Amino acid sequence: MSAMLELKGVSKAYKGKQALRGIDLTVEDGEILALLGPTGAGKSSTLLTSAGLVEPDRGTVHLAGRDVTEAEASSRDVAVVFEGFNLLPVLNVHDNIAFALRSPKYREPEAEIAIRVSRTAELLRIGHLLDRDTGTLSGGEKQRVSIARALVRRPKLYLLDEPLSALDLKLREGLRAELRQIHREHGTTMLYATHDYHGAIAIADRIAIVNDGRVLQTGRIADIYARPADAFVGRLIGSPSMAFFEADLTGDGIIVPGWEGALDPGRFGRITAKGPVSLGIWPEDISLGQGHEGRIYALDNRGYEAAVQVETRAGMFRKVLEGGPVPLQGEAIRFCPRPGAGFLFDRATGALVSHQEGGA
Amino acid sequence: MSGSHTGSAAITRWVMIALLILYTIYNLGPILWLVISSLKSRADLFSMPPKLVFTPDFSGYQSVFGVGAAKDSAASIGVFRSLVTSVLVSTIGTSVAVLLGTLAGYVCSRFDFRGKGDFMFFVLSTRMLPPVAVLVFYHMMFAQLGLADTRIGLILIAVFINVGLATWIMKGFFDGVPREVEQIAIVNGYSRLYAFRKLVLPMVKGGIAATAGFCFIFSWNEYAFASILTTTKAQTLPVKISTASGATGIEWTQICAAGVVLIVPVLIFFWLIRKHLLMGMTFGVLGRK
Repeated sequence: MSAMLELKGVSKAYKGKQALRGIDLTVEDGEILALLGPTGAGKSSTLLTSAGLVEPDRGTVHLAGRDVTEAEASSRDVAVVFEGFNLLPVLNVHDNIAFALRSPKYREPEAEIAIRVSRTAELLRIGHLLDRDTGTLSGGEKQRVSIARALVRRPKLYLLDEPLSALDLKLREGLRAELRQIHREHGTTMLYATHDYHGAIAIADRIAIVNDGRVLQTGRIADIYARPADAFVGRLIGSPSMAFFEADLTGDGIIVPGWEGALDPGRFGRITAKGPVSLGIWPEDISLGQGHEGRIYALDNRGYEAAVQVETRAGMFRKVLEGGPVPLQGEAIRFCPRPGAGFLFDRATGALVSHQEGGA
Repeated sequence: MSGSHTGSAAITRWVMIALLILYTIYNLGPILWLVISSLKSRADLFSMPPKLVFTPDFSGYQSVFGVGAAKDSAASIGVFRSLVTSVLVSTIGTSVAVLLGTLAGYVCSRFDFRGKGDFMFFVLSTRMLPPVAVLVFYHMMFAQLGLADTRIGLILIAVFINVGLATWIMKGFFDGVPREVEQIAIVNGYSRLYAFRKLVLPMVKGGIAATAGFCFIFSWNEYAFASILTTTKAQTLPVKISTASGATGIEWTQICAAGVVLIVPVLIFFWLIRKHLLMGMTFGVLGRK
């Protein structure tokens, strides 16, 4: 595989406010890369810079091997689906989809346009809407039309900015599956920005986690689970997300308040820190029933499964129960991490400070 | 509902209707009087008590529009020329101001440039000064440039008093158009100019109409500049009405007819753009979808 999109050290400030602080990102040809991060992390700016709609202050953008940092947006051959506003109100649905195919750059004969528009509309099940005004469409239909406008062309790269987040759950899952299906059939390359962890793992081949204008980690979800590069990654990934315990790195081992005995630092591999750290453990690696003391702080019973929020002296964590009786709120509960599980993070910077060999 | 309750509601209703009738008379009475007076002959105008039934005399309108026998009579005060001046100044001035304001408003809405805030304030400040404060200097400048008492000079003034307002209003409308409109066009291989002409401009049609309405009314009603900068040849209708007197004294019939003519375009204009105006009053906020 070769790189379709490559951002190197891309920085951008708007009116003195830093949005991107050196983004490094590679999207391979034919993959879906999810850009996962909270609101304001720099996802939209990254997409707009890739599209050429925002000029970076520093850094370079390569598209299909060509340096396009200075190139006009209209020459880059990418398609964009925006988060909010996507349809041109002065055109009807058909003409919105056909929009790109009539531009000076990507012009096609009208006969070809008619075929491609109806085929794409079929694919997204909006064939019956082609003659409608955009103002008469529902939110879900609007977003389908905007995805159709992107798909009707075969650009080098699709840039999708939270394309489904405004839709309700059912519609979102349906459209996500359709996008995945189109991707499989046509081998498209997509950069998909989202703040939704479930959406990201459902659609993407790889995930890039962004926060505060930087990419913290890029990789397949399994690799990220095996070695989260930053405490922030742990907070963003998983459902529920990573459990964090305040701990102290001392000569006698790792002391966690409320836990009996010290943990052997050897199990965490090479450790590049001293003093206060955060011990992060995936909830799946914590078993309930025996071990350290905690208390049920909150209970979320969903019928088919129940999740508990456990309060301990070193911190709180959430975990989905694996069968068994559902405890009551306020009840004492014991918990125990699986031997060998867990990561140490610098408590101030969040960086991973334990390095197990062969763990990742 | 009890009977007494219905009774008090009925009283409230009649009081409201009475107040509204009074308010309508207060507002429309003078206009009705103006319209009636514009149709009366000199003799009927001054008869006491005022005549409500009379033979209509169209000489006032004839002289305003420059038709019939009245335009050449000694009593004519030459309002027709002023009407032409007013129409020319208002329409050309409005067109130029709206054209410039639309372009400047778009730039100020979409682009950041050095001194943008100062520029926007400067544009607004052209509307802050009371005209009276600078009239003398305009008079001197116009005299030097040979623009005094010319229609060209008044058109320049009409552009000047309107372009700042037009820029600000149009900037508001363009702010209401999402930036994605141009971004969609550019990413799909179109130019920004295409996006502006074919996609953004149609979205602010109502805004342009409202802006044109405001500018037209402002220049049509403009009095301060026109009264100082013109003397005879290029007097606009409002100035003419205030100074009109013919060989036989003050020609009230002609003045009233000119007054009616002065009101009518304003009514027509606002009636035409009434739909856009409601939208325009909110400065693009409601226009966004």
